[in-house]
Amino acid sequence: MNERPNILFINTDQHSWDAISAYGNPYLRTPNIDELHRNGTSFRRSFCTDPVCAAARSSWATGLYTSETGVPFNGGYVHPEIPDLGQLLNAGGYKAFHCGKWHVPGRNVRKSFRALYYGQRDIGAGGAAYYDSASTHAVADFLTNYDRDDPFYLQIGFVDPHDVCEYLHNHEEKHIPNPLEQGIISEDDLPPLPENFDYDERETVLHRVCRRVDDALIHAAILKGIRGWDERHWRYLRWNYYRFIEKVDAEIGRVLALLRETSLHHNTLIIFSADHGEACGSHQMFQKFTLYEESVRVPFIVACLGEDIPVEKDRFDETHFVSGVDLFPTVCDYAGIDVPERVQGLSVRPLTEGRDAPWRDYAYIESNYWGRAIVTDRYKYVTEYKPKAVEDFQPPGPDAEQLGLAQLFDRHDDPGETENLTQDTAYDEVIETCREKLFAQESRLHRQQIVHPSPKRVISNWGDRLRGYWRHNE
Amino acid sequence: MNNSNLLHWSFDYNYGAQNPQFAQELIETLRGYNPKVGARDIQTAQTITHIYNVLPNYWCGYNRGGNTETLSIGRVIIQRSKHDNLWHYSVKYENTTSGENLQMQFCCSDEDYRPLRDNWSVDARNSANDEYSQVACAGYLTSDSEVRLRINGAEIAAGTVDASVKLTCNWALFDVIPTLARTIQASGDGIDIAVLEDLEQLRRKSRLGFLESTQTPIPLEGYYLYGVGLLPSYWWLDAHGNIAIASTFFETLVLREKTGDSL
Repeated sequence: MNERPNILFINTDQHSWDAISAYGNPYLRTPNIDELHRNGTSFRRSFCTDPVCAAARSSWATGLYTSETGVPFNGGYVHPEIPDLGQLLNAGGYKAFHCGKWHVPGRNVRKSFRALYYGQRDIGAGGAAYYDSASTHAVADFLTNYDRDDPFYLQIGFVDPHDVCEYLHNHEEKHIPNPLEQGIISEDDLPPLPENFDYDERETVLHRVCRRVDDALIHAAILKGIRGWDERHWRYLRWNYYRFIEKVDAEIGRVLALLRETSLHHNTLIIFSADHGEACGSHQMFQKFTLYEESVRVPFIVACLGEDIPVEKDRFDETHFVSGVDLFPTVCDYAGIDVPERVQGLSVRPLTEGRDAPWRDYAYIESNYWGRAIVTDRYKYVTEYKPKAVEDFQPPGPDAEQLGLAQLFDRHDDPGETENLTQDTAYDEVIETCREKLFAQESRLHRQQIVHPSPKRVISNWGDRLRGYWRHNE
Repeated sequence: MNNSNLLHWSFDYNYGAQNPQFAQELIETLRGYNPKVGARDIQTAQTITHIYNVLPNYWCGYNRGGNTETLSIGRVIIQRSKHDNLWHYSVKYENTTSGENLQMQFCCSDEDYRPLRDNWSVDARNSANDEYSQVACAGYLTSDSEVRLRINGAEIAAGTVDASVKLTCNWALFDVIPTLARTIQASGDGIDIAVLEDLEQLRRKSRLGFLESTQTPIPLEGYYLYGVGLLPSYWWLDAHGNIAIASTFFETLVLREKTGDSL
């Protein structure tokens, strides 16, 4: 391997960990992501830091958790003093390029990176149908013209399958007939309902207020629009979701083919991941924003299509908990750049090369500012902080007194997360262990007060609703 | 023309754009063309041109700059002429949201399915302020039905067409659907076709079927298309043999002008 390889970070948006045909999903075809798996290591225990675009992406950009970055939901702003990956790579002698979706509010991608393509109307949350093909063209132009000796870092942010959000928005205000009755599709074409379609209603207050109640804080209009959905509508949602993934897989295919054709594949490390997943009917839920597996667990593949970079190929890593914060130190490791002291993540490079490395034994995830989860080998513990009586805009934790409700799932016996075990005293010790991990992790964070007025407004408004709920129910 | 805002669900995106209204823009656009120009016998025409207004399906935000004068985010010009028993297509697609404009050239055999022939080309230009400004793609079909693409001199395979289906371009569907309308309706489950989307992305096997009819805003017959890697799109044929509305997942193309120089 050359001392400093090219690094290509391909990311999709809202792509659940198991929506890949090489992983055994029979309801879609992803030959190109499959090729990445055959040429690399797939980390099966990979989790986003926060199941929403801007928040998760702020972790990619900084190597920090979202209560540190200033982006605890889509409306946040990255604290200005935090260095981002583009700045670091450029300072370290790499040419850092960006193409496609960025969605890290508070950080100008055109200043941190050289932008190959970012849209006439800057790419925001969605719009794959407009942007993804143009992104591929931009990358094609880049790869076929790159004749420099110095290595590049290129991140390609494809928007799909995020357009499934627009599919759902389409149901807000109008009735769309059942596609089977319309003759558009046959019953046999539709994937089945997920096994965890039914769920345990003992969820956290945060989850219910954000996603379940009629006037939910997030996407209440969609919730209202799909109230009357029958089983086939849910299955048709899944069918559509998989088509979006096939679309983006085809775009990835063109990029990989051009990488081979230009012979850049020999010395190019490829990292493939997604910012967060998609519920897609599990727990009768849609989109992300929840701490359930489908929403927080994402693909993470490290690959090389050539032989110059040592990467264990065609291998599943079922052991190590990988997080969105690990992208930053992994890229820095391959680039030979020192990682800033505050970065929380770990480089997966030794794992990719088949070497042992000290590693965490859990994943830590945040959601909607107050939500928290710890995923261990056996259990997932989900909890929430109650909003403070007087909001100080300091992201909460660690604070046992302020914890609200919780969920505990046995990942071995109940992988679909359908039975909340918190009320069974036999699990008190498990819960205590998970809480210890949670608080230990949070005590290592450099949480900073949110100062930007826009996210402060969201925290105030959401906090009011949550406080109202707690007042009436305690 | 029926001014009702109760458009068919497949192209009703009125709620996403309060001002200007999607329905109003769609209806106004359709008013602009004379459906009888060019007649329906395109077999005898020398050059036929359809110009479509591109409306964003979702959110006013996809209209560049929040322009309140018009919802349009671009246009498509489909021009074809017949020489030597081949249909020669020139398609221009402009999108002010992506900033990318495509100029596509291809030709098809003079058959109902308009099978792609010989070589084709795509010239993509980016008007946004980025490093990417232009890329040229040339394509051809090998004798083994493999789609090959040359992009800036680098040649890649883009998939192989199944022997059981004919390959056409999505922009030729504006002629394929009117020509095959009765066949599709008679088929019940629809017919299979391979589509080379924008002359670059092969959708190996797609299903083209009849959906239903509507009278709003004008009498239209609806058809659907979907397949692997292809979200359902809906194609609405007017009484004069024109695709008046084509609603793909993210945008709705509305016929605004038609010319035929032989008529």
